[in-house]
Amino acid sequence: MKITYPHMGSLNMILKTMFEGINVEVVEPPPVTNKTLSIGVKYSPEFVCLPYKINLGNFIEALENGADTIIMLGGIGPCRFGYYGQAQKETLIDLGYKFNMIILDPPHGRLVDFLKELSSYFPDVYWKDALKAFIFAVQKMIIADKFEKKLLILRAHENRSGITTKIFEDYMEKIKNAKNKKELDSIYKEGLEKLRQNATIKREIQLKVALVGEIYLMLEPFSNLDILKSLNELGIEVTKTDFLSDYLINSAFKLPQRMEFKKYAHGYLERDIGGHGLNTVANTVKYAEKNYDGIIQIFPFTCTPEIVAQGIIAKVSSDKNIPVMSLSYDEKTGEAGYQTRLEAFKDLLERRRLKNIKKY
Amino acid sequence: MSKKVGIPKGLLYYNFYPMWKAFFEELGAEVVTSSDTCKKIIDDGVKTCVDETCLPVKTFMGHVIDLKGKGVDYIFVPRVISVERRRYLCSKFLGLPDLVRNLISDLPPIIDMKIDFYRGDDFMKKEILRVGKLFINDISKIKGAYEKSLKMQRTFECIIREGFSNTEAIKIMEGEKLDANTKGDLKIALLAHSYDIMDDYLSMGLINRLKNMGAYVLTTNMIERDKIEKGASKLQKDLFWNYGRDILGAGKYFIESEDVDGVISVSAFGCGPDSITEDLLERDYKRDGRIPFMSITIDEHTGEAGLNTRIEAFIDLLRWRKGEIMA
Repeated sequence: MKITYPHMGSLNMILKTMFEGINVEVVEPPPVTNKTLSIGVKYSPEFVCLPYKINLGNFIEALENGADTIIMLGGIGPCRFGYYGQAQKETLIDLGYKFNMIILDPPHGRLVDFLKELSSYFPDVYWKDALKAFIFAVQKMIIADKFEKKLLILRAHENRSGITTKIFEDYMEKIKNAKNKKELDSIYKEGLEKLRQNATIKREIQLKVALVGEIYLMLEPFSNLDILKSLNELGIEVTKTDFLSDYLINSAFKLPQRMEFKKYAHGYLERDIGGHGLNTVANTVKYAEKNYDGIIQIFPFTCTPEIVAQGIIAKVSSDKNIPVMSLSYDEKTGEAGYQTRLEAFKDLLERRRLKNIKKY
Repeated sequence: MSKKVGIPKGLLYYNFYPMWKAFFEELGAEVVTSSDTCKKIIDDGVKTCVDETCLPVKTFMGHVIDLKGKGVDYIFVPRVISVERRRYLCSKFLGLPDLVRNLISDLPPIIDMKIDFYRGDDFMKKEILRVGKLFINDISKIKGAYEKSLKMQRTFECIIREGFSNTEAIKIMEGEKLDANTKGDLKIALLAHSYDIMDDYLSMGLINRLKNMGAYVLTTNMIERDKIEKGASKLQKDLFWNYGRDILGAGKYFIESEDVDGVISVSAFGCGPDSITEDLLERDYKRDGRIPFMSITIDEHTGEAGLNTRIEAFIDLLRWRKGEIMA
């Protein structure tokens, strides 16, 4: 069995660690490029969202590289992601590929059931080994996410353009190849130190922006034209509101976070509407109340939950007096147009700050 | 004086109006609907919504704005979460009252009744009382009103199965006399959400156009449940949107039974659920290759001429296949 899976930010690193920990051969899907996207677009329905198209591209490229088993997540709706695996399977069958597809439906979002189902596909693997591999994969994920959180602040202060990104990528590679927890900790310490050394620029007006929206767009830099890097390089500190580790922890212990979201979104959106619609509204309110300078919402074109949220957070924006910008992405999104919008947004935020300073 | 409840003529109006009307009237309220869809309503809706919103939702907003001008005491915008066990509706229905409140200002109070059968029908009993108490404080009367509304809904669904469109069935229930149009010699299944095809302005009279060309049009609501279930049982995994599942189920049924001449699917531009279901449907018809399949996308810019040309070409194709037109 040669296993593959779709890309989503640092997911590759985690799944690779996990499967190799239980001695299952992995065919990493090639990194997402424009080629991946155009393959995906060619065989996808027109109005389906960008993550579907990129995933399909990943699968085709991985199958071409010799993978024979695809692992994909399912769902119970109402987000259409819950039926992606089925639709993609049909497409790949029509394209003539021979493969096995494992679609994991998290029954009620409980991690234990999920792992049980997963283990049933690998009968030769011992429960203990699997658990060990899983724990190490989770440790890597937590370190990687912690490292990225630091990056999103420090890169806004970098001395030389591009240097922090370079350091970050080097150390992410090291985290990916780390063999044990001890090594992991020392890589993190060293990497963080290097980031700090190269981030010493201070500004009189330091802007802070929260990034909210759909999870795939937030986790996969290719899909959002690396908006985090663009914002950081404009000198803006960014708080990303979704990380893979948060996502996993929240699906394991669903309730507390949902209560928190419901509390924040109360008065704007009264229930979960599928996808990350509730998260987007809740996070917008949360960071508006934390006095961030602005909020940016990113989501794939035609994403219904996010479109509903987009309408609602416009109201949050006027109630809480905080600028909100919504950006939707598809395969035709041009980088220059978005760069201009980000720059204009930054100017707007800066002027608001200047106005406030003069007032006092 | 009785209270006026406004019901916007959009989205699930076409599936549940007789039921909602009966419910509010039994509670002693007067029911007012918005005007028929027109350019102004759509323009108002388009201006109110963010641009990526689908046309049916934009139109719905236009209808709410129209009702605002009619001096109603309440506007009924239900939060329809689920109408069948274990199945949802599209996200936009789940957040509809929130969207209305946040997008349109100075509204009369909204009745955001939660309709949720996801875990069975216990929930509805409480919700019925909550809404009913806005009008009268008499539990048995409220329950009676709910019973009556369910009865009306059953009658409504029976009329549709006789071969009337949802719009026609609503008219019949209001007392008009209409003939069921089951005459046409070409049998066409029109697989779409009711709100995409029942609003004559949005769909540019698609059903009547087809009828005038000699077609007998079958919508998903007209098809017997057991046929849809039979088709849907062929799905790899049960679909979690009930209307999407009806469309797919009916589509799969017709491939097997072959008792239609052609299949047309209609969806709104950028529709999330349809992007998946339509792809699966089209793939099935392509693989099978026996029944012609066409899909139409509607948005606020759709041109009438383009639509007509496509329908005419499709009908010609069907007639040619039947040997009525020589090539």
